[in-house]
Amino acid sequence: MKRTSMSEKQMGYLLILPAIVIILVIAIWPVMRSFWISLHDIRLNDPTKTEVHNSYGLDMERYVSTLPNLLRYLKKEADSAQGSVKDQLLTLRQQAEHMNAMLRQTGEIASRYQKIDQLLLEFKPVPNELKYVELSNEQIDSIRSTLNTIGTTLNDLGKQKQLSKPEGALGVVQGITASVIEPNYVGFAYYKQFLTDSRMWGALYNTLFFTVVSVAIELVLGLWIAMLINKQFIGRGLVRATVLIPWAIPTVISAMMWKYLYDGQNGMVAHLFEVTGLVSDMGVLLTTKAGAMFSVILADVWKTTPFMALLLFAGLQTIPHSLYEAAQVDGASRTQQFFRITLPMLKSTLLVSLLFRTLDAFRVFDLIYALTGGGPANSTETISILAYKTMFAQMSFGEGSALAVIVFLCVALISIGYIKILGADLLGESGGR
Amino acid sequence: MQKKAGPLFYVFLVLFIFIVMFPFLWILIAALKPPSELFGERAFDFIIQNPSFDNFVRVFTERPFARYLWNSTVVAALTTLYSITIASFAAYAIAWLSFRGKAIILGIVLAVSMFPQIATISPIFMFMQSMGLTNSYLGLIIPYTTFALPLAIWNLTIFFRKIPIDLGEAAKVDGATIWQTMTRVFFPLAMPGVFTTAILVFIAAWNEFLFALTLNTQETMKTVPVGIVMFQGMFTVPWGEISAASIIVTVPLVIMVLIFQRRIISGLTSGAVKE
Repeated sequence: MKRTSMSEKQMGYLLILPAIVIILVIAIWPVMRSFWISLHDIRLNDPTKTEVHNSYGLDMERYVSTLPNLLRYLKKEADSAQGSVKDQLLTLRQQAEHMNAMLRQTGEIASRYQKIDQLLLEFKPVPNELKYVELSNEQIDSIRSTLNTIGTTLNDLGKQKQLSKPEGALGVVQGITASVIEPNYVGFAYYKQFLTDSRMWGALYNTLFFTVVSVAIELVLGLWIAMLINKQFIGRGLVRATVLIPWAIPTVISAMMWKYLYDGQNGMVAHLFEVTGLVSDMGVLLTTKAGAMFSVILADVWKTTPFMALLLFAGLQTIPHSLYEAAQVDGASRTQQFFRITLPMLKSTLLVSLLFRTLDAFRVFDLIYALTGGGPANSTETISILAYKTMFAQMSFGEGSALAVIVFLCVALISIGYIKILGADLLGESGGR
Repeated sequence: MQKKAGPLFYVFLVLFIFIVMFPFLWILIAALKPPSELFGERAFDFIIQNPSFDNFVRVFTERPFARYLWNSTVVAALTTLYSITIASFAAYAIAWLSFRGKAIILGIVLAVSMFPQIATISPIFMFMQSMGLTNSYLGLIIPYTTFALPLAIWNLTIFFRKIPIDLGEAAKVDGATIWQTMTRVFFPLAMPGVFTTAILVFIAAWNEFLFALTLNTQETMKTVPVGIVMFQGMFTVPWGEISAASIIVTVPLVIMVLIFQRRIISGLTSGAVKE
């Protein structure tokens, strides 16, 4: 039999290494990165703002493809101009060439310039590592002042009707200006902005309202159902399986089902509510603020109460039957038994399931996205939905990430709160062996 | 309170099951209704006058629903396979080998399982985009690790701990290496636990929505949840087709739940309920 020289300890570290590395790379790094992104103005619909830039830089691809245009334009205008205008244009051209030469004094920029030029000629994509180059403050000043002079001079000449194509002047100067990348660090500006943003507070309020109300209802109903099915009866297996079904169905699919049931014209549940007088009109459910919030909570309660009941039911089964018998002998009433035996014995199960339900409810995204989309009038917009909309509808990743970090911080606060209460119960188990 | 149930209890039970199952029942009816009965006067009828399978056929012929099903299956299966493999080793080490820092590792794993997905989406999206991994299976499998791996590690650790320690000691006395003990003695014994965890991970990956929505936007790369939500047009919602598609997805899950009911329950409750 082969023997490894590895000790148990080393083997242990080796076995958990892949999992730890993956968790660090896939979960912890992205969260930290989210925070980093939230300090920057990143917009996916603006080519100069798609990445974090902490210093001035130059988009070489843009620069290489637009600088020749400027030179060509200036030459063309100079050729067709006369007298002092011609001289002026030639001077401008010299200045542009001087600026370019100055940039290319840095060996790196010169060599990259050549490579990119070649790639562009061959219509090949420019790789990312070639594209972006950092600039010193002097270089930036030089580019800025040159472009400024060229811009204003051309503008003046255009106004004096000395240019054959005045509309082209603006284009070429703007082309190069756009290749200069400004640092997009904004610090905590987004956080400050959201602290005074009524929409953010509204979303936070909606999230808290949704979480507190739905979790409270689920807890009470779940406990009640758990105690009811904690009896001997025929068809236990069937009930347990039934209870699992809403849990197993993708949330968005159950949201779509409820959307159909709530529909203002053909929805069965909306119809039933109208017939029983719960709502004045079928349309109320998804088109009014209160109706939409109620609908979202009801759908969530339907989906997760059975799950809550299941967890609590499993907890109830671990309570020794003898405790109740002893209590009965001592003459304790049903209520006393519930408060003195059931609740204390169920404490850790209750807290663990409450913790997970609260976090799930606070992070709610898919249910609301599919059912109401956050509407009407943002009445069901939770903070995750707002973050998603900011990121993917407005393409403002920095801003959206700030909201995502706020969600993260809230979740962390909730967890810390629960773990303080649970404390030893939760980690005591994991600290075993 | 192991009391015998009375007749009132069974009435309650039937009512309870009816409420839980009602949405499915109604969606099944809607899926079988032709458009003329889906809307208008007959919209609230339980009895279908002219039941038809048109909605089911249309889902496959007019929409790439088979493709969605395939995408979801591939992504969920691969996620399950690789996260269970990695988690098995980690869980074995945490449950059985002695080394320092285990409580911290389990704490981190638990904390990661609480991370909101929205807090990781922006860097992951930007990374996938720059690597050209959007609209690929790998682009979904990688971020699915954020919830699959913690779930698997946590559950497997609890399952592994239930295996009597004497077995490991006996193997050690016989001269087996740690690797041999793990693969020949523990993994076969832990198979039920591994299988249970695999079901949970598979269901979680199958149901995932946010990453699938943002990363795979191409029609041919969408997963089932995203595909069904995107059925709705700007002005019309094809309820018949949505119902049919929902039934198609729901039925296999229901069957799975019925078959593996005991395992799923033990997997779900093992984390929350101490025995």
